[in-house]
Amino acid sequence: MLSWATIGVGIAIVAPQVVLAPLRGEPAVQDARAEPDRGRAFYFTRVIYTDWYQSQGGRGRFGRGSWSVDWPKADIQFVMGLTHLTNLDAYEEDNLIRFDDPEIRRFPFVYALEVGYMNLTDSEVLGLREYLMAGGFLVIDDFWGLREWYNFEQQMYRVFPEYPIVDIPMDHAVMHAFYEIDEILQVPARGRGINFGRPTWEDPSDTVPRVRGVFDDEGRLIVIINYNTDLGDAWEWAEDPWYPLDKANFAYQLGVNMIVYAMTH
Amino acid sequence: MFEFFFKYRPIVFQQGDLVFESPVPIWVLVLGGMVLAGVGVMTYVKGRRGLERRNRIILSALRIVTIAVLVFALSRPMLVIATIVPQQNFLGILIDDSRSMGITDRGDEPRGQFVYDQFGPEGSQLLSALSDRFQLRFFKFSESMNRLGDVSELTFAGARTDLATALDKARLELAAVPLAGLVVVTDGADNGDASLSEAILQLQADGVPVHTIGLGTERFAKDIEISRIEAPRRVLLGSAVAVDLTVNQSGFDRQTVKLVVEDEGRILMTQQVELPSGGEPTTVRVHFNADEIGSRLFKFSIAPADDEVVRENNELETLIRVDDSRKNILYFEGEPRWEIGFLRRAVADDENVRLLVMMRAAENNFRRYGVESPDELEAGFPRTREELFRYDGLILGSVEASFFTPDQLRMIAEFVEVRGGGLLTLGGRWAYAEGGYAGTPVGDALPVVLERPAESEGRFFAELDVRPTPFGLTHPVTQLGPTPEESKDRWSELPALSTLNLIREVKPGATTLLTARAAGVSGDVVVLAYQRYGRGKSISFVVQDAWFWQMHADIPLEDMTHETLWRQMLRWLVDGVPDHVSVVTEADRVSPNTPMTVTAVVTDSGFLHLNGAEVVATITGPSGTSQDVPLEWTVRRDGEYRGVLTPTEQGRHEIQVTSRYNGAVVGTGTSHVEVGDLGAEFYGAEMQADVLKHVAAETGGRFYTPETVETLPEDVSFTESGTSVFEERDLWDMPIVFLLLAATLGAEWIYRRQRGLP
Repeated sequence: MLSWATIGVGIAIVAPQVVLAPLRGEPAVQDARAEPDRGRAFYFTRVIYTDWYQSQGGRGRFGRGSWSVDWPKADIQFVMGLTHLTNLDAYEEDNLIRFDDPEIRRFPFVYALEVGYMNLTDSEVLGLREYLMAGGFLVIDDFWGLREWYNFEQQMYRVFPEYPIVDIPMDHAVMHAFYEIDEILQVPARGRGINFGRPTWEDPSDTVPRVRGVFDDEGRLIVIINYNTDLGDAWEWAEDPWYPLDKANFAYQLGVNMIVYAMTH
Repeated sequence: MFEFFFKYRPIVFQQGDLVFESPVPIWVLVLGGMVLAGVGVMTYVKGRRGLERRNRIILSALRIVTIAVLVFALSRPMLVIATIVPQQNFLGILIDDSRSMGITDRGDEPRGQFVYDQFGPEGSQLLSALSDRFQLRFFKFSESMNRLGDVSELTFAGARTDLATALDKARLELAAVPLAGLVVVTDGADNGDASLSEAILQLQADGVPVHTIGLGTERFAKDIEISRIEAPRRVLLGSAVAVDLTVNQSGFDRQTVKLVVEDEGRILMTQQVELPSGGEPTTVRVHFNADEIGSRLFKFSIAPADDEVVRENNELETLIRVDDSRKNILYFEGEPRWEIGFLRRAVADDENVRLLVMMRAAENNFRRYGVESPDELEAGFPRTREELFRYDGLILGSVEASFFTPDQLRMIAEFVEVRGGGLLTLGGRWAYAEGGYAGTPVGDALPVVLERPAESEGRFFAELDVRPTPFGLTHPVTQLGPTPEESKDRWSELPALSTLNLIREVKPGATTLLTARAAGVSGDVVVLAYQRYGRGKSISFVVQDAWFWQMHADIPLEDMTHETLWRQMLRWLVDGVPDHVSVVTEADRVSPNTPMTVTAVVTDSGFLHLNGAEVVATITGPSGTSQDVPLEWTVRRDGEYRGVLTPTEQGRHEIQVTSRYNGAVVGTGTSHVEVGDLGAEFYGAEMQADVLKHVAAETGGRFYTPETVETLPEDVSFTESGTSVFEERDLWDMPIVFLLLAATLGAEWIYRRQRGLP
């Protein structure tokens, strides 16, 4: 018979393990990277990249790396919406990959966020460059203010020194690929979205939401950059009754448009 | 030897009838013989009881044979044979005056030398023997036939040998005189258009025997010949063209020669060709890109070796029209897929193909990419034939059969069968059997057999290690290297693809280009197959992710395999898709003044065959002179019109066909033909003994060579044609009769002596 004291000690030992388990990074990521169901038309694929903390020998921002924000709920919940809204034969689970993993070529669409802390290794730079040149498509999300912008811009310059980052005009095909989008809304993080009256931006140095892009020599859009906005949080918390519906709606619409555009252009 | 024993040559026995002119009735002789034989046998059986049974039988047999020979001789056997009356009959001598008679393939002299030697002014034994018996009439023939006064008129420069026409004309020209037969002096390399069978039937009906003298060898000692060419008549600019050449050779077993391809005199490529052993013909497939617009003359040649008998047959030309037109392809996809984007990108630079993609992104949400105008297919997938048939090709992706109405399914099948369009079906979760196409008109049009998926098995998925079939190794779409070997190596390097559709079998008449091994599936699965279906073509490409050949990490960024494959696939899809008026000539190269049949297939605006149209072909020569020839409906086939044109000028001619219905122009079509010297005499120029033997045998004549021609004059004399008399020739005094008598009597005597018999 276990005494209450023994149970209490047990809980005291086990509870931190359970709570901290996601922060340990690699083991949980490896589990999630089990071989996905093969033969589906689309896999919502999130990129595991190296952040500044990891490049300094740390375990990464948030314990796993800045890539992992909103993962996996945002990914899975967005795919649920995607399959309901379109005819897409999409894989229902999350899917993780690294830029320097040759298997990334199986997934012509990848998503990365919190790139204000991105610090790619040389092999990741090369992997991303060749991936995009071969026909891949990258969507960037959830980074705020000029400091983070400059960091991302520097990382992209390492990948494509020859291609500038430019604003995507509102008459571009990606804005009309499925839904007709005629305005760029700022999609706030959950905390700012449900706090009435507070600004929805996160860094006062630059507050305007922008959708920018990188085009290759043939004029093909290969990277979409969602700056000063957080589509991922809207995907993750769309079921929250306090989260602004118009912002969630916009996030899903832009997400669907980006995927349909990538698959058809 | 035969003549020594039998007194006469075999032809006398062949032509003559055996009769018996016995002074007493033949039955008396036979009866007497039987009595004598009976007495003789009885003498051995009864009178010589001491004889063994074996001796009695042998001696009796010898005695019977002796008596039989005697009876035969006494019955006065003779042959009754029809023989011409000297100088009362005519003999037509037809001499081949074509170029092939100049070939030197037997000794050091050309074939034509035989003619000069035998029929020249110096005369010969043959000529005098013939002149003694017949009134001779000489003719020369090549593409035409004329009377020949003297052999000096022969030029051996005729461009063709029309044996049938020559025989027919000679028969008609000599119909009014007693004709003993015709003698044809030729190599038998007939390349005329007239029917030899019909000419033979007429000769048989008139009882005119034809004797043939074959000149030349039946097989050249050393020769290479490009004897046949199979090439498309029309291709899109920039397309990979596959041309099949048949190369014959003798004396060059296992040797490697260089094949050169020229486009209007410009060298396009060279290719090494290994000739097979045993003198067998070989088929050589040549690939090149058609990158110059217009009607182009392509020449294929192998440099002649010094000791080749015929050098002129080492090359062959063909006319290919290279179009700069733009073909329209509709790609209908039932769901967003990567194939759309990658396919669009692969063919984006192809100015000769417009790819319009219509994608069902969601229920009732259709996206269109590559439209020419905002209202093109605004209402969705075409609902009328006119709407669909304006496209040249149709690609169906992952879209279930139930999406279409029954009429739309029929319409898609008719798009291939009636309109002559190209249909390409891709793999996907809603394609083939998984999409419910089995038993539908579209399913009927597919080149593959649809297996109904088992409900319990769930979704089929297999990785495919794609490999070309032997045919696929040399097909323009799937040949990925300059040679079949390099193509095979390239295929082995490509990463595996995947499919959601299990296809194991193609329909009869379909051709498989790509197959693959799939885990858990016995035998190969079909990856790429096609078949002709009515006027059009149906292709099945069963994979769902060909884009992986662009994206895979093992494929270098500069690699163009994916782009090339799709570009060639789409061009192949629309290759040969007919316009409203399609024009075909029976050959792409003809000799001057040779009648040529032009056939046009005419359809209305909905691509339905149109009868009762006014169709005119205008042929324009290189000097600009043109001639209109009306084409008549053939009645046998809907929409088919035919007429005969005779170009006289040398050079490239354009044939434009215009169809009008109720006064309005329905459509126009164009074709080209090259008029010039085809050098036909140098192809298949070996002596065709089989043809000459056939002509002789069918008409009652005989086949000779220069070595056997000595007996011709006498042989020709034995005929019932012309003015002839019947001669009786005794057989009782044949040496064989006396030899037989002596042999049987001698044998009996020797037998008795050896056995010590009385």
